[in-house]
Amino acid sequence: MKNDQDMSPSLSINAAPGTLSLSLRGELDLRTTPEVLERLASIGEPLPKAIRADLSGITRMDDCGALVILRIRELARAHGCELELTGIPDHVRDLLSFLRLDTPPRSSGVKRPKSGIMTRFGAKTMNVVDQAVSHVSFVGEVCVTLASLLRHPGRLRLGDTVQYMQRVGVDALPIVGLISFLLGLIMAFMSAVQLQQFGANIYVASLVALAMVRELGPIMTAILVAGRSGSAFAAEIGTMKVSEEVDALITMGFKPAMFLVAPKIIASVLVVPLLAMYSNLFAIAGGLLIGVTTLDLTVNAYMAQTMSTLSIFDVNWGLFKSAIFAVLIATVGCFKGYQVRGGAASVGQATTSAVVTGIFLVILVDSILAVILRYWRP
Amino acid sequence: MTDKAVISARGLTMGFGGQTLMEGLNFDIHSGEIFIILGGSGCGKSTLLKHLVGLYKPMAGKITVAGMPLDPDDENGFKRILARIGVMYQGGALFSSMTLGENVALPITEYSKLKGRAVEELVSLKLRQVGLEGFEHHLPEELSGGMKKRAAIARALALNPEILFLDEPSAGLDPVSSAELDALILRLNRTLGTTFVVVTHELSSIFTIAQRIIMLDKKTKSIIAEGDPRQLRDAGEHPFVRQFFNRQPEMEK
Repeated sequence: MKNDQDMSPSLSINAAPGTLSLSLRGELDLRTTPEVLERLASIGEPLPKAIRADLSGITRMDDCGALVILRIRELARAHGCELELTGIPDHVRDLLSFLRLDTPPRSSGVKRPKSGIMTRFGAKTMNVVDQAVSHVSFVGEVCVTLASLLRHPGRLRLGDTVQYMQRVGVDALPIVGLISFLLGLIMAFMSAVQLQQFGANIYVASLVALAMVRELGPIMTAILVAGRSGSAFAAEIGTMKVSEEVDALITMGFKPAMFLVAPKIIASVLVVPLLAMYSNLFAIAGGLLIGVTTLDLTVNAYMAQTMSTLSIFDVNWGLFKSAIFAVLIATVGCFKGYQVRGGAASVGQATTSAVVTGIFLVILVDSILAVILRYWRP
Repeated sequence: MTDKAVISARGLTMGFGGQTLMEGLNFDIHSGEIFIILGGSGCGKSTLLKHLVGLYKPMAGKITVAGMPLDPDDENGFKRILARIGVMYQGGALFSSMTLGENVALPITEYSKLKGRAVEELVSLKLRQVGLEGFEHHLPEELSGGMKKRAAIARALALNPEILFLDEPSAGLDPVSSAELDALILRLNRTLGTTFVVVTHELSSIFTIAQRIIMLDKKTKSIIAEGDPRQLRDAGEHPFVRQFFNRQPEMEK
């Protein structure tokens, strides 16, 4: 079948007066067709009345080669020429009838045509409304689920919860510790330059302790948890949706909110405040290192100043905020996972969106809480 | 069988993490034949297929494709092999962010000199062959399982490769589409001389298209039958082979 004769050129054009003779030879496949199509396109404008195409020399033709026949027919039709195909080998006839080439392919491009700006605007608007509705119903479902857990605590999947506590909490210890330590170190280092001018070295301890425990500890922890675990929740649930695992849960009589969401939220609420405490501890240690090495403070003096600055309310307030952040991050992560439709690209979007929305909500709620605190305890 | 082998496996041992699935497989796939890999569920048919296309590395043994040793680490050699094969995966493996048309057009625009309208027309022709013309703008998620499968075949066909690997092409298709698919396979095999390596369970499809089969066995980790399926059905020596072709359950012995 593959006698490699001289295949170039596969098309010879012979323009006799009155007739344009085309002759196709050799193999017409993906390698040779582009050139033949180009040569067909370059045929000069004034075409004679008739086109004769001799196909007898074709040794092998695939569906790509069929495009050549298609193009010759188009050429003839566009210029009102008579077309005669001669010497069609059996295998070509067979192919043409198989491809039903008499009805030319209705190609309207491979890309999805973009709809008009108004249509897109409308679709986006409807989408936003849809999102809002599904967001509200998701939050409602989660609330109902958590409330029902208060009455029937046994329904919580304890094994999963413990596993998520490990993933969200224990596995995050190294990175949270390192970042907090460095944060405390940098804060102490930077503030020391200023405070030293007033001989207020000891207040470095107050600054680090108060800033970390009240604000930065919970926020840094929340941002790290959003990046590590919020994204993981979204990716996990999103992938489960794509592979119909969520559907399987529903038809097996499980509530996805109870099965998938509740363990994640409860685990997060339990461990994120602990992580924040741990972060505070490391930040203070970082500050202590700078205080002792560069500010001539004793360990004792630094710790005493820290203890006298912090009230138990500050610590509780930080823990309370962390718990709220944990709920936000876990809920947003799960919600974004639920929103996944389609395939891999959608999972990626959901993961990004989970992290971005999670961090945004954390900062937003933190600001609101700061204002509330300002008026509640002036 | 005087044809030269396009794919040959010698002493192929495969498995994962110290556990072997198959040991010392020797077989040849000849140019221009329709070769079917059979076996019970979980015996490693799809794994064998993935070894043959270089996705998995064998634990021992050698595979040659079109006379070249299959070695994914040898970039140029592997590229030359990949240019001659097309693969359809069990789940379709269509790119979910692209429309069907874009999925099929991707290899065409990347590896041929066709441009613009010619690509679009060729894509339509490919989709027409699998009965999906007019679905160019659909995303894979908007298709049924059987349609995804057919679209995946269209994508595997895009460059008309010499060797086509199909992993369970007719599973999940209705009998009509399944028969049409068999006809398509036979046609491509006849007119373009495409070699097919197919993993399938559909008995009717096996008897329609198969020229030669091998049957893998989980227990003995080896090939228990090789040859024409019709002969094996009537005169197979191994009891499992006859059971398989005559659809007899294992427990009723």
